[in-house]
Amino acid sequence: MTILTEVARLPIVTTELDALLRQVARRDVEAFASFYDQTRARVFGLVTRVLRDPGYSEETTQDIYLQVWRTADSYNPAAGSPLAWLLTLAHRRAVDRVRSEQAASQRESRYGSANVDPPSDLVADSVILRDERRQVADCLDSLTDAQREAIQLAYYDGLTYAQVSERLSANLATIKSRMRDAIRGLRRCLGIP
Amino acid sequence: MTEPLDPDLIALATPYALHAVSDSELADIERRVAAAPPAVAQAFDDEVRAVRETMAVVSAATAVEPPGQLRDRLLTEVSADPVRALRPRIKRWQAAVLAAAAALVIGLGALGVGMALRPAPSPSTAEQVFAAPDVRTVSGQIPSGGTATVVFSREKNAGVLVMNNVAPPAPGTVYQMWLIGDKGPESAGTMDAKAVAPSTTAVLPDLGDSQTLAFTVEPPGGSAQPTSPPFAKLPLV
Repeated sequence: MTILTEVARLPIVTTELDALLRQVARRDVEAFASFYDQTRARVFGLVTRVLRDPGYSEETTQDIYLQVWRTADSYNPAAGSPLAWLLTLAHRRAVDRVRSEQAASQRESRYGSANVDPPSDLVADSVILRDERRQVADCLDSLTDAQREAIQLAYYDGLTYAQVSERLSANLATIKSRMRDAIRGLRRCLGIP
Repeated sequence: MTEPLDPDLIALATPYALHAVSDSELADIERRVAAAPPAVAQAFDDEVRAVRETMAVVSAATAVEPPGQLRDRLLTEVSADPVRALRPRIKRWQAAVLAAAAALVIGLGALGVGMALRPAPSPSTAEQVFAAPDVRTVSGQIPSGGTATVVFSREKNAGVLVMNNVAPPAPGTVYQMWLIGDKGPESAGTMDAKAVAPSTTAVLPDLGDSQTLAFTVEPPGGSAQPTSPPFAKLPLV
């Protein structure tokens, strides 16, 4: 458990991504390349975490960015940050892929239920991401094991909350509130408004 | 459904935002939110938004660099996207076509689709469509001559359009394709005279909920909404 002081605000420059997305919507290939470069490690890492297969993850990441290319004009700044828009889209794709292959029930978490660290040799190595990663890891540590497990199964393993409840032999209301408390804890810890 | 605060619905906001609900429950939740009093819908949306912003930050914890070739492939693909590109980039498109030829012909051959075609500019998307378990083919005659065929997959959310012997658009006009779904027509790009003759293939990358592919004649550069009645339609079912 780590005692946290005031956490610096997230370093990704949202306004910049916002501007890039608007250029992407106008079919600007260079803006698309910049947008990709600034976000690719987050997207590929999340997708890999959900799919656990490098080949599928690469394909799915490609699909995600092609969807960005085609639907950038549907991004609405009033509805959230560009990064949240992108990662929501990415997570949806990854989860759809897992479920369409009906693989979720057969897969076991390779990393164990409470571990969300990727293998260290593959971790993206930008300084900004590294600092932010440490903050997030500290905040994940501040959750209870039960809360972390709920996030692991639902978000990274692609199970529905009903499946999580079965897996853990806990009732649905318990699982829903565990998920909610986990997010609230993270949100508070990360200083997200 | 209309208890003042609907705590059952609000309790679903986090699983919903984490994509941790089944497809049927997802549809049910969206119906309930749409029918809920504004204050309830607002509370639900606020919670969904907070969850998504939080997980966007948490993505730093799992960040991993993708292979370098993915960047090259993506940039090649978006640069060569003749359907969506506002300015057609014929040279690059033709290069991609040649590179993709073998793979696509094999793909179609395996499906028993007997037609002479030039391949799509985007081998990865097209190959995925052809390999999809739910691949479908629809075909129709264009009234002014020629045929249009769409091979598509809902699972892959993409299709490949093949036009054979379709006359190019009249000078000063383009053909514009529209994917028509619940929210009305959405442009799927334009084709000018160079892009059409004599046999054309294009990727339809994002089918969404569209049920129909329609073609209209539009001024150069295309239009935001169709300005003339479609001269052809293909049902995507």
